[in-house]
Amino acid sequence: MDGLLSVCHGYEAKQRIVRNLIDKVMDEINEGTLLKKNLIWLELTGCSGNIISLLNGANPDFKYLMTKMANLVYSNSLMTAEGEDAVSHLVNVMNTDFILAVEGAVATKNNGLYNVIGKWRGEPLTALKAVKMLGEKAQHVMAIGACATHGGVSAAHPNPAKCVSVQSVLKRKVIKLPGCPCHPDWFMGTLAEILLYDAPKLDAKDRPVLFYSTLIHDRCPRRSFFDKGIFAKKLGDHTCMFKLGCRGPVTRTDCPVRQWNKYVNWPVEDDTPCIGCAQFGFPDLMEPFISYDTTRKERE
Amino acid sequence: MTKKIVINPVTRISGFMEIEAIIENNKIMDAKTEGLLYRGFEKMLMGRNPFDAVYFTQRICGICSTAHSMASTIALEDAMKFIPTEQGRYLRDIIHGCEFLQNHLRHFYQYTIPDFVRLPNNYPLYTTEHDDFRMPSKINDLIVSHYFESLEMSRSAHEMLAVLGGKAPHNHGVFIGGISTQATTDKIIKIKSILHTISEFIEEKMMPDVYKISEYYQDYFQNGCGYNNLLSYGCFNDYKDLGTLYIDPSINLDGKVLPFKSERISEEIEHSWYSGEQKSYKPLERLPEEDMNKPKAYSWIKAPRYENVPFETGPLARQWLSGAYRNGISTMDRTIARVLEARKIVQVMEILIKNLIPNISVQSEYKVPQKAQGAGLIDTTRGALGHWIKIGDQKISFYQIITPSAWNLSTQSCENMKGTAEQALIGTVIQDSDNPVELGRIIRSFDPCISCATHVYSDRKPVKIMKVVP
Amino acid sequence: MPTQKEMICMRMNQIVRELNDNTNCMYWVQSHYSRYVLLNQIKSKIEELHFINNLICIENEQMLRDRLQELPNQREFTLAELAEYDGKNSRPAYVSVEQIVYDVTNNATWAAATHFGLSAGKDLTNEFNACHEGQAILNKLKVVGKLV
Repeated sequence: MDGLLSVCHGYEAKQRIVRNLIDKVMDEINEGTLLKKNLIWLELTGCSGNIISLLNGANPDFKYLMTKMANLVYSNSLMTAEGEDAVSHLVNVMNTDFILAVEGAVATKNNGLYNVIGKWRGEPLTALKAVKMLGEKAQHVMAIGACATHGGVSAAHPNPAKCVSVQSVLKRKVIKLPGCPCHPDWFMGTLAEILLYDAPKLDAKDRPVLFYSTLIHDRCPRRSFFDKGIFAKKLGDHTCMFKLGCRGPVTRTDCPVRQWNKYVNWPVEDDTPCIGCAQFGFPDLMEPFISYDTTRKERE
Repeated sequence: MTKKIVINPVTRISGFMEIEAIIENNKIMDAKTEGLLYRGFEKMLMGRNPFDAVYFTQRICGICSTAHSMASTIALEDAMKFIPTEQGRYLRDIIHGCEFLQNHLRHFYQYTIPDFVRLPNNYPLYTTEHDDFRMPSKINDLIVSHYFESLEMSRSAHEMLAVLGGKAPHNHGVFIGGISTQATTDKIIKIKSILHTISEFIEEKMMPDVYKISEYYQDYFQNGCGYNNLLSYGCFNDYKDLGTLYIDPSINLDGKVLPFKSERISEEIEHSWYSGEQKSYKPLERLPEEDMNKPKAYSWIKAPRYENVPFETGPLARQWLSGAYRNGISTMDRTIARVLEARKIVQVMEILIKNLIPNISVQSEYKVPQKAQGAGLIDTTRGALGHWIKIGDQKISFYQIITPSAWNLSTQSCENMKGTAEQALIGTVIQDSDNPVELGRIIRSFDPCISCATHVYSDRKPVKIMKVVP
Repeated sequence: MPTQKEMICMRMNQIVRELNDNTNCMYWVQSHYSRYVLLNQIKSKIEELHFINNLICIENEQMLRDRLQELPNQREFTLAELAEYDGKNSRPAYVSVEQIVYDVTNNATWAAATHFGLSAGKDLTNEFNACHEGQAILNKLKVVGKLV
């Protein structure tokens, strides 16, 4: 058996992963350098709704995140410092080990001047410049929410600010957490995977399989209505939302089992269709959101 | 001596902005507020399915998404000539109330408190260069503990919202007719229970905290005053059986409270990057074309005006106009009014909940009109919000949004009248021009939401004065 | 006994899993030797996937041709006629790919008779091939006629 495993290089390499991790942690403890990782939360071209969603997280909540899990050094919405004092936090962290979390798309029109996130030494710091500067140096880059992962609503037709995803301006792996907004657990869980195992398991579109592996439709509590062809005619009906335009069959998240806001509800349970906010191409490719004129039963 | 002070980013707001102030002898002589984010929602909405506006426009803003679902729904109902039932209105106003509470809790504790209370600076998030923290450590630390406790309260406010709205931010509940789902007894009692906890927190912690802060920062009753013109589109008002629970549409101009007339709203473009035949437009008129080469212009934002005059909108305007709080118009009064309003919203919600009939469905199948137009004007957390829609060939053919932050942070108008917040900054005495904390504190009292007030950045020609890097 | 199709499916899933594991390892492996070995493994697995894919494509094309042959008695649609079947107001939702008209009225991915920005009542051959070429999707749809 040992012989068989030793010829399998994948297995050997996996063993080495654990070994490396343990060695690294032991070294750092011995040297007294084991510190909480620095975390930058960058808000770019968007609605800043992902930081609000993060504040909605419970166990782990925001307090646990910033006191126990990571060293949050920058958040436009929450930090005390302002002006260049605030931007200096970004500059100071550049040469440390840090994780970069980005919400919002990257506005590229007019060389990025459609979204200025601060000033450094009198010069405007555009979203474009900031994400390139920090994205190249970060240990991990996480794109959070629809706008950061694929442009989202900020890039909706005709895309007046010429918004693009974080990935399209960075030549490196970007972990993608789509959703409008991103569920706080999807972020916290992925961050925990990074902190504990360094590399979360991702699918072909760089989404953590832990949260994005299964279609909403496959776990929808109203699936039996779909199978029997019993469709809601209007919002508020308790049957399948398919004919109103439900995008559950093309959207991969764990909304039906996880639910939102301390796990009390989610759009389909609220008697509305899923609008595919976690699908790449939202909103343009997921519209129309609500239709009443879809054929429910064919004449003939 | 003249100095120019630039603060960018103004943190602890939603979105990105810059404040630029010219200071002479420690006094602000001129000020400009600039939004630094442009997305162009009005352009994006053209050609889309009108019903989608309700979920689409919420993405304008992550902290006040429900506000946009309210205004877009009311605009659609107006265009469809649809009158919602009273139960439908109660239900969606309850959702709106949850958003008020979430906003006011987060704005007061997470955005305002760090200006006045020293947060534990062993965390990099809370380090700052200035030292103007005046509270004795015992009181300071008590408020710090409430800062962290408030996180659970604002989270619960969104939980309450999600009970009826599916999720937050960007709820699914608010829609034509009221809300999507039915308020069953279990949902009602859950909301009541959460509301009770939040109510206790507001009474026992939030209110004493704001009064404590105001004691140590008395000078903030003297700055950030502005024009004293106040405006509200009204909210939680004009119920058939319950009357007005909070405020009817009204304005305060030259010391007189007067009724509000929507046809008096206009948007001026004299100092904005647009050119058109007129200097001033009505909300439903064709949008003027962009023109960045206009010499006078310095921003993308148009200047919303009522009777051609700038107005302040928001909690203080509502508290003043409704007669609940008339201590003054200043930075600190604005902050106190926001906290008092949180308590008021709890009371309004309690009445609405008491009048709910459980299990009622307020939804039906709707038809998009071939051609129509409508307006949705409502006061929301940050103030007066208006959506205007035109429908042609069953698609959106025109969409106009004038946000509360556009009112408060507007640019100069034709008669060279500064925007409301710009005016509030002018005249302020700066204690330490190396650490001009006053600017951020004054601006934050308006609770700016730049995600909502979509402007764009431009490099202006340099001013020949020394530049202070704050 | 699993069918041939199921076996191909299982093998493909297995390859994808192995590819995932190998790429994950690539991030971690330090020595050049191991990296080369891993790269070689990845390369050969990609070749195998390519081979299987070609097999399926040939089979699919054959099946499509077979289905076209079976269609002499089926209804014929012009593009204008097809446009009537937009899935609205009691009209079924039809789309055509490679001359065959399919019914997507109750297809889960066609909510409100729309699919990733596309709407029913149209010939979607190019769009289908751009996104789903080589995927066994059409076989599951009900054929309602021929586009002429």
